[in-house]
Amino acid sequence: MPAKQTSLLGELLGNPATVGTIATLDESGAPHAVPSPFLRLDPAGRLVHLELLETSRTHRNLLRSIWFDRPVTVTLSGEGGRVTVVKGRVHKVHISGPLFSSYYREVRERLGDADLVGVWLIDAQEVINESYAVRKAREEELHPFFKHLDRLAVA
Amino acid sequence: MTLALAQNKPTDSLNDVVHRYPDVPRLIILKTDVQRRGVYYTDEAIALLDPAHHQTSGTHIFGTRDGVIRVTPESLLLRDGTSIITTPTPREDNPYVVDVLNGTPWLFDGGEPLEEVEYWPAPVYYNKTSSSGVLMKNIVSTRPQRLNIFPYRYCTFWNNGNGCAFCDIVAQMKKSGKELSMPARLDPVEVGAVVGEALKEQGRFSAVFLTSGSIVGGTQPFDDEIDYYIAILKEVGKNFRTRKFPSQLVGTAFEKSQLQRLYDETGVMSYTSNIEVLDEASFNRLCPGKAEWIGYREWKKRLVDAVDVFGPGRVNTGIVAGIELAGPNGFSSEDEALERTLAEAEDLARQGVSTVNIVWSPRPDTALSGCKNASLDYYIRLARGLHGLRAKYRLLIDHDSYRNCGNHPDTDLSRLLPLWEE
Repeated sequence: MPAKQTSLLGELLGNPATVGTIATLDESGAPHAVPSPFLRLDPAGRLVHLELLETSRTHRNLLRSIWFDRPVTVTLSGEGGRVTVVKGRVHKVHISGPLFSSYYREVRERLGDADLVGVWLIDAQEVINESYAVRKAREEELHPFFKHLDRLAVA
Repeated sequence: MTLALAQNKPTDSLNDVVHRYPDVPRLIILKTDVQRRGVYYTDEAIALLDPAHHQTSGTHIFGTRDGVIRVTPESLLLRDGTSIITTPTPREDNPYVVDVLNGTPWLFDGGEPLEEVEYWPAPVYYNKTSSSGVLMKNIVSTRPQRLNIFPYRYCTFWNNGNGCAFCDIVAQMKKSGKELSMPARLDPVEVGAVVGEALKEQGRFSAVFLTSGSIVGGTQPFDDEIDYYIAILKEVGKNFRTRKFPSQLVGTAFEKSQLQRLYDETGVMSYTSNIEVLDEASFNRLCPGKAEWIGYREWKKRLVDAVDVFGPGRVNTGIVAGIELAGPNGFSSEDEALERTLAEAEDLARQGVSTVNIVWSPRPDTALSGCKNASLDYYIRLARGLHGLRAKYRLLIDHDSYRNCGNHPDTDLSRLLPLWEE
């Protein structure tokens, strides 16, 4: 991923006001989206998603993704209506080792008696600006026919 | 150029099987094939091994395929969290090669890099010494998420030469006792103390595993084995706030009254008793000690009885897949072996007992040392079949899963068993 986009994601994820959502695909292809409250970037620019339950739908869907090469998306909703969608592929899950243990401790510091089952690393492949103001301006520039006429009518 | 990169052999069998079974993840097929063929570590791969951070070989009750005790990675992790439990294998047997690519270990075959792998991480307590001065890792060893207790490194079926034909436990005990200063029989109090030390590492372990060789002695056969397990589990249990703790005992097929004692007096939560091969004639031939002391049909009956004690989804049996085809008396075809094995596994599954398989790796100090294991296609069909039986009969296998064991391709597939409770 280009450094500029990595920097953008880092900035968004570094803002406590940003809300992260991860969407995965289930066995039938249906999307399943849930909050990802621990979302962050690792030093290599990969998204880090923490899973707390072994049998959660997201954990199982992420496993399907790494097994059968299915995409995932992460949505970052920030201040001022800023929305960024990241399309990615699952790179790896850590289930043991120093990195896993450090996240385990962090989860328990924040949540008390909680568990951690996997530290999922996701390669961001495409970053899409889905902020309404940006999309609206683009739409009106490129697709002027898709507009209700009353918006253009003399008042 | 390193050794692995210089190789020039195709990986056709792996790719063929991957294409033949699109419902089975390539990573699980790769794991299975690595277990089937073994691994060879290049000098460069060994140089990446850091005993301060990685688990090194030599703590297990069974031996290696090359019959040598030396410092190598204990085993490998794939990027989906799957363990590959395998041992160094002679180069001439065409194993996969672990070599270095861009500073990290990778699996190679035919000169091509296939997957990045990790060496199992070393726990913090590994290099501490116990109260008796033994390295703690030689008392309680580990897998990525499991504590292994192998308290008795002998099997009394070998007293009259009736050990299992694929097993090298006694040969390994003699080697490890001499070369690693590993006690043959552990003190329960010391085991409990080492487990307590291990638990100081947060987020590392999610299961306690206990197994030893069979001990036939006692007022009733195997009472000595039961008593020993109870003594150890009681000491281990002192480390927990709860009466029960995530745990698995792999033992001989015990009488129901013995199992009830085990369950009532300890924190153990699941029970595994390995029948090794799901065919009576093969069992009698390949597991003569088990046949002499218990018998095939009684073994199955005791497994089913155990479900009453431990509950559905918490009892299973293991098979050493491939031995049923070994030698002149084995099944004559893989189709026949698979049909017979899955029929017997279904008979157990419908009564609440799950079957898991390991991929048999022929070892030098065993009666079957000259034989070859089965094809990759066979192992994948078997794993699919065993997983399918769990789905059909709604049998959880959490206690013998990728987290709690990691040695069974079929339970890797069961990471995606349906969630019946939802």
